Amino acid sequence: MKRNLLARIALYAGLTIAALTFIYPFLWMASSTFKPPAEVGSLALIPHDITLDNYRTMWARAPFGRALVNSIFVATTITLSVLVFGSMTAYAMARLNFRGRPALNAATIAVLLIPGQLTLIPLYTLMVELGWVDSYTALIVPYLFNPTAILMLRQFFLQIPQSLIDSARMDGMSEPRILFTIFWPLSKPVLSIVAIFTFMGAWNEVLWPLLVVREQNLMTLPQLLTVFALGGGAGSVGVSLASAMVLVVPVVVAYAFLQRNFIESMAGSGIKG
Amino acid sequence: MPSVSFEHVRKAFGDATVVEDFDLTVADGELLVLVGGSGSGKSTILRMVAGLEEVTSGSIKIDDRDVTALPPRERDVAMVFQDYGLYPHMSVRENLSLGLRLRKIARQEIDRRVTWAAGMLGLAPLLDRKPKQLSGGQRQRVAMGRAMVREPKVFLFDEPLSNLDASLRAQMRIEIGGLQRRLNTTTIYVTHDQVEAMTLGDRIVVLADGRIQQIGRPIELYRAPINRFVAGFIGTPPMNFVDGGLREEDGEVFFRAEGMSIRVPHENAATSKAAESLTLGIRPEDLRLNASTTRAEGGPAGDAFTGRVVLVERLGGTSHVHFDVVGGSRMMASVLNDRLPDVGETISVGVPPDRVHLFAADGRSISNSASLPS
Repeated sequence: MKRNLLARIALYAGLTIAALTFIYPFLWMASSTFKPPAEVGSLALIPHDITLDNYRTMWARAPFGRALVNSIFVATTITLSVLVFGSMTAYAMARLNFRGRPALNAATIAVLLIPGQLTLIPLYTLMVELGWVDSYTALIVPYLFNPTAILMLRQFFLQIPQSLIDSARMDGMSEPRILFTIFWPLSKPVLSIVAIFTFMGAWNEVLWPLLVVREQNLMTLPQLLTVFALGGGAGSVGVSLASAMVLVVPVVVAYAFLQRNFIESMAGSGIKG
Repeated sequence: MPSVSFEHVRKAFGDATVVEDFDLTVADGELLVLVGGSGSGKSTILRMVAGLEEVTSGSIKIDDRDVTALPPRERDVAMVFQDYGLYPHMSVRENLSLGLRLRKIARQEIDRRVTWAAGMLGLAPLLDRKPKQLSGGQRQRVAMGRAMVREPKVFLFDEPLSNLDASLRAQMRIEIGGLQRRLNTTTIYVTHDQVEAMTLGDRIVVLADGRIQQIGRPIELYRAPINRFVAGFIGTPPMNFVDGGLREEDGEVFFRAEGMSIRVPHENAATSKAAESLTLGIRPEDLRLNASTTRAEGGPAGDAFTGRVVLVERLGGTSHVHFDVVGGSRMMASVLNDRLPDVGETISVGVPPDRVHLFAADGRSISNSASLPS
């Protein structure tokens, strides 16, 4: 009994330390944005004198509001497109018979094997040729399709019973209608995980925007942050951290809302009739 | 007027032919059962009628309209699936009405039909539930209701009772039969269960390897199977088969095998010159057991043989007596319980000559000695 209790205490102590090592840097960053410059060096989590100066300075020196809007627009468009076009492709790959389906499956997997950095230069050249540099198009179009998302959705769609498709066809539904009114409601877990990953990927992307966008008004948040903080525009650590907070907060909020779906989909899910 | 007609329908997946030259007419209001083992092509035929599977060659007509190339929604047929195919995220009411809403039928009419079907199937209290909250039998009823509200020309049932337990299956079987008679809608019913086929079908089509083996009323298939496959498939417990040959003695014809010599009606022998190698079939319920050790007591010579009991299965009303023919094969008799032999006992087994079936080496029946009721 006693030994059990001790083991439990040790376990929880270990877990607490582990949790703290993960969360402390984040909390420190969050609290430091409210510290005056003199205090930023300290490891304390609660500032002595709370100030919003860091945020004010940041906002005054660079168009972060505009960058926030840009980021939201770009990431949302990409996410919606990946969900809609991705599930259409996945549906066809999983449930329709057509010539070349095996080749399409193989090609999709092959695309996964090519590292993104490899296509960076050719893709950039293409953007220049098309005259898309310094436009939303360059930020969005290369990401409209995502092979990982297609394969995840395809795998899930394969588990949905054939009789549902048959019923829907007998009820008179078209294939897109079957996808969006029967498959989508049943695929919420996988759709949310694809949405979260796609959104986060698009939101955090720095390298590509740095290549194709020079105009400050078109910059996304991480891009502007990089240019601002690394380029010395921030002037102080507190201001740098404040701009990082602007980047992180929306993702954390989104995660908090979708946490249940996120964990569900990580744990895997099936359909039981 | 024929309701559904198949004309030389063939279906192949790649090189594999699963349905070969299927030619059949289903009468208006008839309940036709397609029965066969797995891979016999029965579900494929049903799916071709529904439009869920393309026809490789041949044509399908519903009420004289060629539907071979039409999509499912334009065929005026409704289908009940083995795993029901209910939309899990919709209520029973939505499941029932979706097909009608998609066809832009007036709201009042939809309500009328849903209420009618729900009343008929006892679903009225369940209309707002999701399929997950229903029992297997209730889900099955919803699936049937969904077909009924469409008021189609043809109902298609694809093994609708396979996922239910035995008692529920028997109950739903009766309900489906009753419902079909009341609605008088042409129905094609697919099953691998020959009891379902026998009890439900106006006519039965027995399929094997994508080919029609025999078409007929249930009692015709039972009494006069056209080949060994049908003989073995229809009837529970299954027919006994013994390999042997025919011989003529003193103007009488006998079927001879190891341990038995059975007199068979004369006309059978006359039709079969190649009588050296053939198979005798006799249903377990047609065998007569006598707890005696000598042939003389079992009946006249040639109408009985001797066996040794190896197993007795008591089912309540009747029992299955398994026995080895002395020096020969194992057989089974289905008998009433009044005088059961013991295991190890030697018995005399009587064979009424008019109940004997004979099959040629290729499986074809060369006798339909069992007479049909008029």
